[in-house]
Amino acid sequence: MRAWRRVVAVARKDLLLEWRGRDALIPAGSFGLAVLLVLGLVSGGGWEAAPPALWVSLLLAAVVAAGRGADREGEEGTLEALLLYPGSREDLFWGRWLAVCVLLLLLGAGLWGVQVLLFNAPTRGVGVLVLAGLLSAFGLAAVGTLLAALLTHVRAGPLLMPLLFLPATVPVLLAGVRLSEAAASGAPAGPWWGVLAVFDLLFLLVGPALFEVVVEA
Amino acid sequence: MRPLDPVVTEALSRRFGAVVALRGVGLRVREGTCLLLVGPNGSGKTTLLRVLATALRPTEGRAWVGGYDVVSEGHRVREVCVYLGTSPGVYAGLTGFENLCLAADLCGRPRRQVPELLAWAGLEPVAYTLTGTYSLGMRRRLALARVRLQEPRVLLLDEPFVGLDEDGARLVSELVAGVKDRGGAVVLATHDHHRARALCDAVAELDSGRLLSYGPAGLAGAVNRG
Repeated sequence: MRAWRRVVAVARKDLLLEWRGRDALIPAGSFGLAVLLVLGLVSGGGWEAAPPALWVSLLLAAVVAAGRGADREGEEGTLEALLLYPGSREDLFWGRWLAVCVLLLLLGAGLWGVQVLLFNAPTRGVGVLVLAGLLSAFGLAAVGTLLAALLTHVRAGPLLMPLLFLPATVPVLLAGVRLSEAAASGAPAGPWWGVLAVFDLLFLLVGPALFEVVVEA
Repeated sequence: MRPLDPVVTEALSRRFGAVVALRGVGLRVREGTCLLLVGPNGSGKTTLLRVLATALRPTEGRAWVGGYDVVSEGHRVREVCVYLGTSPGVYAGLTGFENLCLAADLCGRPRRQVPELLAWAGLEPVAYTLTGTYSLGMRRRLALARVRLQEPRVLLLDEPFVGLDEDGARLVSELVAGVKDRGGAVVLATHDHHRARALCDAVAELDSGRLLSYGPAGLAGAVNRG
């Protein structure tokens, strides 16, 4: 009960700060939108190019959004106070993970809407896309939360974030694109659900455990 | 063997690369007492407090807070100890009320205490204002209210009087007195010896990470030198 209260408190705090400052959603959304527009122009706007464009833009936007919470703590000097509260530090991980999940889902929904308009993409298979988006958000948020904590005290943190985040999340990109294509064409997606599930399981198990080690260091 | 005293250090050292911030410091703070740490800038006061608070790991030696080892039982130490550093650690984008509600949720205290704590800190009129608009003194008062909410057995204070007026300084005194009355211990580092003198039972003087003198007998001398 107390752990759940702590998790919700951290998530609510991050989301409230984001709502008031909008310092993750606006830059991440703008960045994702710019990437989507550029890819739309390059690909000629054919609907076949829509899934890769959507997932690449979402992944790049996630890099910006995932690190913002940790950056804010660093700038305000609140991280140490947060870490010194009694209770497990895993709760802090889950709280931040929950807030990043919400941000990524909002970004994903927004970018998907733009993609439909821009690429004239078919809207069938929305259920598959929603599930794929949820599973992807869980995994991406876990990687982002962990890396943001790892890079908080690193001077080149903002530079290293994409260098570490993007290679680590390639399985999500591939699975997301294949699942979106399958949803649009009505074909079975087969093993790509498994790829997303294994990715999530790995990072949701390893993330909280490593978070404790990373913030202790 | 678990030490009985609330704060105990043995040959405690901490390095930052080639810089040695603490060199074999051995201290013991008894129940119901307050220890004043004095010394020039860079003498190791803040490092010692941060090691005791589990914000830093010692390089060598051992320390126990509330009877718990700061390295192997850090989570237990954080249950009984509160560290208030030079930064108030409050969120500028939250109101005073929201900051204290967050603290209550994180340390498992009831939220109903929050209005009373805001009144205690003299922040009732600005309870629903974002703390980004607060002065340094007001943010520090809010941090003191957070400490009171947690009711620690061991209180670690780093320059607690900075930015505070006389009323604010009285809040620090109340907190220290409260911890001492509950049989806990306080370790306080400050250059404001005039205010600290009335609160402290013993003095430890640090210089270049070394403990130069320690104990009630050295109180006046250490304070005057520090």
